Order: sequence, then structure tokens, then C-alpha cells
Amino acid sequence: MIVESKEDIGQEEIQKFYDFCKKSINAEVASYLEACVRCGICAEACLFYMGQNVSGSIDPSLTPAYKADLLREIYKENYTLLGRVKKLLGFGVKITSEDLREQIKLAFYTCTNCDRCTKACPMGIDTPRLVSIVRGALTYAGLTPKDLADATNLSVEKGSPLGVDVPTFLSRIEFISEEYEVDLPIDKKPSEYLYIPSSIELMKFPSSVAAAGKVLNKSGVSWTLSTIAHEATNFGLFAQSKEVTKEMLKRILDGAKELGVKYIIAPECGHAYQSMRFVAPNVFPEEWQFEVLNIVEFIDRAIKEGRLSIKKKVLKEIATLHDSCQIGRRGGVLREPRRVLNMLAENFKDSVVIPEHNICCGGGGGVLVIKDADYYRQKGFISKMTLFDKVGAKTVVCYCANCMLALNKSSQELNRDYKFVSIVELVAEAIEEEKA
Amino acid sequence: MSDVAFYDFVRGPFLKLALFVFFIGIAYRFFRVVFLGLPKDYAKPKGNPYYMALKKIVIKPTMGWTFNEIFSRRAINFVGGFLFHLGFLGLTFLVPAHAFLWQEITGLPIPGVPNIVSDLLAYSALGSLIALTVHRALNPVLKLLTGKDEYLANFLIGAILFTGILATKWAGGGFYVWVLSTHMFLADLLILYIPFSRLSHFVYYFLSVGFMGWNAGKRGVSF
Repeated sequence: MIVESKEDIGQEEIQKFYDFCKKSINAEVASYLEACVRCGICAEACLFYMGQNVSGSIDPSLTPAYKADLLREIYKENYTLLGRVKKLLGFGVKITSEDLREQIKLAFYTCTNCDRCTKACPMGIDTPRLVSIVRGALTYAGLTPKDLADATNLSVEKGSPLGVDVPTFLSRIEFISEEYEVDLPIDKKPSEYLYIPSSIELMKFPSSVAAAGKVLNKSGVSWTLSTIAHEATNFGLFAQSKEVTKEMLKRILDGAKELGVKYIIAPECGHAYQSMRFVAPNVFPEEWQFEVLNIVEFIDRAIKEGRLSIKKKVLKEIATLHDSCQIGRRGGVLREPRRVLNMLAENFKDSVVIPEHNICCGGGGGVLVIKDADYYRQKGFISKMTLFDKVGAKTVVCYCANCMLALNKSSQELNRDYKFVSIVELVAEAIEEEKA
Repeated sequence: MSDVAFYDFVRGPFLKLALFVFFIGIAYRFFRVVFLGLPKDYAKPKGNPYYMALKKIVIKPTMGWTFNEIFSRRAINFVGGFLFHLGFLGLTFLVPAHAFLWQEITGLPIPGVPNIVSDLLAYSALGSLIALTVHRALNPVLKLLTGKDEYLANFLIGAILFTGILATKWAGGGFYVWVLSTHMFLADLLILYIPFSRLSHFVYYFLSVGFMGWNAGKRGVSF
């Protein structure tokens, strides 16, 4: 169960990496691996490549197509006639420890699974899917980067990657409830909706949790928090460890079943939404019978149904929107935050014409927690900044706490003065001001 | 071997062999991937995956064009790639000499395009192929991604286009049959080579883009 972070790479690790890649091939993966025409257009879509490029040094190895090349070679020699013949004649893939170290850099440091390259690729190759396999293979071989492995293990042991166990969770909720004067029900039965915050919000952005509580209370639905399902993030997805992913989802399943809820509301957290909306039904096909909504989806729906109304524009300055890749481009929640933000901001300027074009924060997919990836994250932020500057916005509205954390960190490291705000907090503020 | 004997060989048994290998090879490559199967997906789709898969198959090549910053940096790929595919496919099926061949094979009446259109298609295909090859040789990303396969394919296609133009513009003289036969011989080689190379990407286009579109539909993404 525990995710390992070995220093030494030997034959055993190489063999495990190889075996995992080999068994991960199916028709979809093979189609992507076969379809690449080596045009390299994906490089220009990748924030890490672009950030490095505009900084004056081209690193072609950051090209998304290249990130899947070792997997492609393993596929060829196991599933194609010519590849098999080559292997038989002794010309098969020779993987060295250096190759695997490069794979760690390519899959864990310089890819957030943001999916922008898929949209630009003329052959529609889902590179995040392929990089996820490489990540899974590295984790299977015990080669997860240390910072990520530690956070992943902590989430299994304590219940959260930031070490938030049940007593800490309860004390934080009590604190938030008192500090922000909001009623936050815990384990309330019967409830229709289960809202699960992420520990990033709980520990670093408590106002986001308070805002979600205010919005849920105002909407008039019967909702609750859960002590069993108290963590929404799923570091199993970052490390691509099936065991950890399942374990974290099992806690949510147990909590939701115990409370008998119909809906689960995922917080402002990309991978949390991805894991609950698209992964969980495949991990628990029989038992996972809940409708999963992201908090922004919930707000948009509540406004449409007349359960919430926003009449006050709380943002006066020029503001733009940062999309969370896992909720937006890979989750389909792109129009909702725009509709809501248009109600909240007097001067909302979208930095992209097509929402799916937006650029990642640079810290998704666990990149934020990996210290060795800081350099690349900062380069990625340079690509991101171009969009903010294009519309002249210093205020950036986000709907993912991990994005906010990554953007804040990179912005401070590069001495920028952007302000990142949560869309749910703005909604809560609009509701409060209206009440006043 | 006389010029006529060579012509008969490339037009007859060699073409048949090439087509046989082509169809068997392409079918093998397609079904080899399809038969790998898929895990069942229990996540309830947010949109219509089947519609999106079909839609993406139709519009996918133009999606990259909408990224302004990518287009501005890689216009040569987009414009050159578009002109090359238009020219190459147009020439393959619609040039009068080829249309006649396809008509003979399929039995369907296939109209050939006027000579001026053929010329435009040929020059745009050859010109863009040369530009794309030079770009491939110089761009750092493409240098990393490119193998022998790409250069061999480009050389072969370039030679076919060149000999095709040469044969069409031939002003007389005794080597016409040799030029034409060389053109046909190279085309046979290309047909033979496709299943063994990345030129077979046209088969995987439908699968890869289909899966991408299916996923977009499942996630409720419109782009």
C-alpha cells in the first residue's frame, strides 16, 4: 500500500516499470501510441515547454509526445510484429537507470495532466493518459518523487496529505464555524448532500470552507460534512497508485453510504472532482450510486433553479478567470464559472476565447508538492502570466484551491502582485452583502 | 529489361503485390489495435460521447488552428500540412490519369480535375513537403522526435511527386516510358511501405480522434 521513493534504481525497478507499462496497453492507449506523426505541435501547447522557451532556452525533451516515447517503445516490442522480431533478434528496448530518472522528470515534474496538448494535437492524442501510465509504472517500481510519496503516504495513514486526522478536522471545522459565523453541520442525518472539503482549503484557505457552508445554507438544501469522508483530495491519482486511489475513495464511499446522501459535492479541488466524478464509478461500479457535483456546478444549478440569487457585483476591478484543468478541460465545468463570474464582476475579461484553451497553474497533478519541480513550475507560471497580462488583470478568480496555492506561490517567487480569489468566496460575499 | 517490360511489371504484378501487402498490412494494423479491447466505463457521461466522437473525426485537424499562439509559431506545420494533404490526396484520386485507374479498379465513374488544378495540387504538395522536411531538419523539437522513417517517407513521396510532374510535363523524347514507369514504381514502393511506417497514421486517426472525442463527450467538454 505505501508508496515508495527509492534512491537507487536497479534491475528490479526497471523490470517492474517495464511490466507495468506492458500490461497497461489497451485499444485506446495503443491508438494514441500508434497515431503520433511526430509533428511536435504539442510542444507549443505545453506550459512547461513554452515557459522554458520564452525564458530563452529550448528544452525539446519537454515536448509531450516525447514524454510517451519509452512507453511507445515498450508497446511496440510487445504488441507489434516488427517490434517482436526486433526483440527476438536482440534489438529490443534497453532501459537504463538514467532513462527512468528522465522519466521521473518528464512524468512527475513537467506534466500536470492538464490536457491542453490533446486539444492542439491534430491526431487527438490524449498525452495525459499516457503520462499517467508512466507515472503508474514509476510508482509501481517504487520511484515516486519523495515529497509526493510522503504526502501520499500521509493521506493513507492520517486521512489527508496535510496530516489532517479526524480530531484536527473537527477542531478546524469548529474554528471556521466560530471565526466566520457559519453553521457547518457534521454527520447530520438525514441529509441529501454531502460536502467534502479538501485539506488545502481546511488548513490554508479556511474562508473557502466557510464560504461553501454559507452558500449551501443559503441554497436551502439539507447538507452535511462527514467525519468518515472528511478529505476530498486523492493523492493516489497524482502518484497513479490504484491502491491509494481506491483506499481514499473507499473512505468517501463509506461516509456517503453511512449518511445515506444522494449527492456528493466536490470542493474547489481539481483531482478531487476528477476522482469522485469519473474514477470512483469504475472503482466501485455497484456501490457508487451518487451524483457528484463540483461546488461551482452546484452554485450554477442553484441559481438556475432559483434557490440562489446573485444581485450584487462584488468585484469592481478588472478580473479574469483561471480554469482548473481537472474540473474544466477534463471535467466539463467551464461555462458554469463564467456564468457565475459574470454575475459577480463588473469588469470580467476572459483571457481566452475558447474556455478549453486556458493554461494550467503549473502545480496540478502533484507538481506543487514536489520541491525538485519548483523550477519547472515557475517556468510554467511565466506561460500562465501572459494570459493575465493580455487582459490587464491583477485579480484572478479561481475555482481550485490547489491552483490558488500554486499560483500564489509562483507569483510570490517571481515577485508579481496578482491577487488570487476563490469564486465560492465571492458568491458568499455577494450573498452576505445582499443580506446586509 | 526494356522500358515497356518494366512498365508492364510495375503496372501489373508489382502493383498487385503492393496492393495485396497494403490491404493485408493495414487491416492487420487496424485490428491489432482494436482487438486489444477496452475496459468498461461505468462513469455516467455528461454529454453525448458518440456524437462527439463523430464530430471530432470531422473537425479535429482544424482544432489546433484556433490556438493563436500555437498557430503563429507553427504556421508552417498547419498550413504546410494542410496543403500537403490536400495536394497529395487530390492528386492520388482526382488527377485524370489516376482517376482513370481508380475508375478501372472500382468501376465507378470518377471525374478527373482539369490540368490546371492538377498542377496546383502537385506544386503545393511538393512545395509544402520540401518546406516541412527542411523545418523537420532544423527545428529542435522535431529533430528530437524525427527518425529515419519520416525522412524515408518524405523522400519517397517527394520523388513520386517530382517524377509525376516530370511525366506530365514531358516534352517528348525516348525516355518518357522510363519516367512514367519510375513514377509508378515509386508509387508501388510507397503503397508497399505504408503499412510498415507512420504513413499508416490515417488508419489510427479514426481511432485516436474517435477516442478523444468520446472522452470529450463523456466529460461534457464541447471543444
